[in-house]
Amino acid sequence: MIELRFHRDLYAGTAIDSALGRFAGVARFVRREDGADFVVEVHAQSPGRERTVAGELANFALGLTVEAGGPDR
Amino acid sequence: MKLPVSDSRSYAAFFRFRELGEHVVVTSLEGEWVVLRRDEFSAFANGKVEPGSDLDVRLQARNLVREHFDVRRAAETMARRRRFVHGGPNLHLVVVTLRCNETCVYCHASRADLDAVHTDMTPEIADATVDMILRTTSPHVTIEFQGGEPLVAFPIVERIVERAVEKNRSAGKQLEFTMVSNLALMDEDKLRWLLGHRVQICTSIDGAKSLHDKQRVLPMASSWDTATKWIARINAAYAEAGLDPTLYHVEALLTTTRETLSRWREVVDTYVELGCRALFLRPVDPFGFAEKTRRVVEYPRAEYLAFYRHALDYIIEKNRAGVEILERYAAIFLTKILTGDDPNFLDIRSPGGAGIGQLAYNFDGKVFSSDEGRMLAAAGDPTFLLGDVRSSSYREIVGHPTIRAMAIASNLDGQPDCIDCTYVPYCGTQPEHNHKTLGTMMGRMRESSMCAVHKGIQDILFEKLATADNETLEILRRWTTIRPREHFLQP
Amino acid sequence: MSESLFGMPPANVDADIAEGRVALTVDTSLHSLDAIYAAAYAFIGRCYVLLERPAPERVRVVLAPKPSGADGDALRALIGEFANELLSATWRREITRSNRALIEAVTMQAFAGALGSPSLDDLEAFQFGDEPFEDPLGIAQSWEEKYRKKPRTPEEPTE
Repeated sequence: MIELRFHRDLYAGTAIDSALGRFAGVARFVRREDGADFVVEVHAQSPGRERTVAGELANFALGLTVEAGGPDR
Repeated sequence: MKLPVSDSRSYAAFFRFRELGEHVVVTSLEGEWVVLRRDEFSAFANGKVEPGSDLDVRLQARNLVREHFDVRRAAETMARRRRFVHGGPNLHLVVVTLRCNETCVYCHASRADLDAVHTDMTPEIADATVDMILRTTSPHVTIEFQGGEPLVAFPIVERIVERAVEKNRSAGKQLEFTMVSNLALMDEDKLRWLLGHRVQICTSIDGAKSLHDKQRVLPMASSWDTATKWIARINAAYAEAGLDPTLYHVEALLTTTRETLSRWREVVDTYVELGCRALFLRPVDPFGFAEKTRRVVEYPRAEYLAFYRHALDYIIEKNRAGVEILERYAAIFLTKILTGDDPNFLDIRSPGGAGIGQLAYNFDGKVFSSDEGRMLAAAGDPTFLLGDVRSSSYREIVGHPTIRAMAIASNLDGQPDCIDCTYVPYCGTQPEHNHKTLGTMMGRMRESSMCAVHKGIQDILFEKLATADNETLEILRRWTTIRPREHFLQP
Repeated sequence: MSESLFGMPPANVDADIAEGRVALTVDTSLHSLDAIYAAAYAFIGRCYVLLERPAPERVRVVLAPKPSGADGDALRALIGEFANELLSATWRREITRSNRALIEAVTMQAFAGALGSPSLDDLEAFQFGDEPFEDPLGIAQSWEEKYRKKPRTPEEPTE
C-alpha cells in the first residue's frame, strides 16, 4: 500500500476526486481526510504497479488542480 | 562591467547593452542601435555626453537620448517591426508522402521506405488540404511540398497544384508553390510540368560529393551526381525560358552535421560552384532522429559558432572577389538590424510563426503547428497536433489552445532573459524547439541551444558592423535587399 | 533514507536514492504557488510529482523519474533543472505582469489577423450555451469591470 497526502492548500479536492474517478479500474483506493490533508491509500497487485498508479494519480491530481486554477478557495 | 547609474536617467533613453570586445552594442526599445567604444558608452550611460558633440548627435540620431526621445518615431518603428503580426498563415507545408528513396543520417521520423504506400496522401485528403489552405486570412500563400520525397508521390503534387490554382480563381491569393526534393526521381516530363506550373524547385546539398554521398545515401547511385545533374539542367531550363539566372536558379539547403564543421571552406566553394546565391548555415535541429543518431550528428553550439564565423568570413571574402552569395541567417538578422523591417522568417520573429504564420499538413490529414511539430508527433509526441483537414474548421485549427499558448510562449516580451537582451528587437524563439530540448514551450534561454546560436550570430554580425571596412559593409547591406521572384507567382 | 546531494544545499534539497526520489523545499515568500505549479507541471511528463506542505510558508516538491533506477547524479541534475525552471517561472510571471498590455495587444492582433471574421457557417456551428466563454485576456470585459478599484484585502501590501 502507498499512502498519498494531498494538502488542501495545494490541491483541489474536486481534482483529487476526478483523478480517482479516472483510475478507478486499475487499483483500489481508500480516500479519507486527516486535518488539512486529503489522504489516498493506493492498493494494487504489486509494489511496482502501486508506484506507477500512485505516481500517475498524483500527476493527474496536480494537473487537474492547475487546470482548476488552484486549490479550493 | 556594472551598469553605471549616476545621472543616466537625465540623459539616456531606455536602452539595452552588450559588451563585444572593445565595443559595446546599445539598442533602444524599438531596435535602433549604435556600437560605442567603451569610453563613449561610459559617457552615455553616466549622462556625461557633451551637448552638440559628435557622440550626442549620433545618439540622438538613434533615438537614444531621453530629452529628444521621439515617441511617434519609436511607435512607428515598433509597428513596422511587427507588421507581420496581423498577417495570418502564409506558409503551408504539405507532406505528400513519407516515402523516400534516400536514407539520410539525420532523418528518421520524416521518412518511410518506398514500399510504404500507405504513407501517400490520398486524393480526398489532398483536396481537403487545399481547401483548408485557401481559407487562410493571409493574402500571400506559399504551398511548400515536402516529404519524404515529393517526387515519389508526384500525382498528388500535380493534383494539389491544379486544385489550388483552380480554387484560387475565387480566393484571389498571391499564390506560389515550392518543392523541396532530392531530385533523384526527376525526369524531363516532371520537370516540364513543374516549370509549366511555375513551381519553384529547391534541393538539399550537404557539401562536397564525399560528404553529401555519405550523409544522403541513394541505393545504387550517387545522390550527389543525380542532384547536381538536375541542378544544372533546371538552371539551364530557367535560362532557356528567358529568366534572369541571378534570380532564378535552384537554391539548396544545408544540414550542418558534426562532420560539416571542419569543412566550411569546401561547403562554401561547393555552393558557389553549383550556382547557388544563398547558403543557409543552419545547425542540425533536434527533431526527427533517434538518440543514437543525435550522438553522431550533434555538436556543442560553440563549435557551430566557430564554423559559422569561418564560413561567413569566407563568404564575405568570396563577395569581395566578385562572387554574389549571401548567408541566409546573416541576411535575416541584417535586414532587421539595418532596415528596421522584418523579413517574416517564421522561426526568428516575436511572436513565432507557429499557427499564426504557418501550418503543416501531414499525408494523413493531420494538421500541425509546423513541420517540427509534425516530426515530434511522428516520434510519439502529439503536443503540436491541431486537428484534421477532414473534420476541423480553419478557425478551430488556427484558434487552437495550443496555438494560443505558442503565441504567448514565443512572445519575447514575456520571456525571461530575452527582455533584457540587447538583441531582442531582432530575435525569436521556437516553442517546438523549447519543448523538445528544454521540456516547456517557453524554454529557458540561458540553456537554449537556439538562443546560443542566435545570440552568437548577432555578436558576429555586430562585430562586423563595428569594425568592417566600407566594402564589407556594402556587401552586408546588399544582403538585405530582397528581389522578389515574381515569375513563381501564379498568374 | 534521506540524504543530501553534492553541491545542493541540504536545507532545501534532499534525496532518497534507493527510492528514486528527490525533493526541493521552496520558500513561498520567494516563489508564488502559481510559479511552483508552472514549474511542477512542466515535469509531469517525465516524473511523478507530488507537492507537500511541511510548514506554512513552505512547499516541498517531490520528483520521482518515471523509469525507476535513477542514480544520485541523475537526481541531482533533475532537481537542478527543476530549480532553474522554477526561477524562470517566477521571473516570467513578473515580466508577464509588467508587460501584460503589450503581450495582450500583440496576441490579440495576431489572432484577429489569423482567424479573420467568422463565417455564417462558423456562427451556425457556435454553441450558445450557458457556459461563459473563455476570456483569458479580459477582452470581453468593460473598461469599468477590468480596471475598477477592487476593495483592498488585508493581505495586500500598501504602497
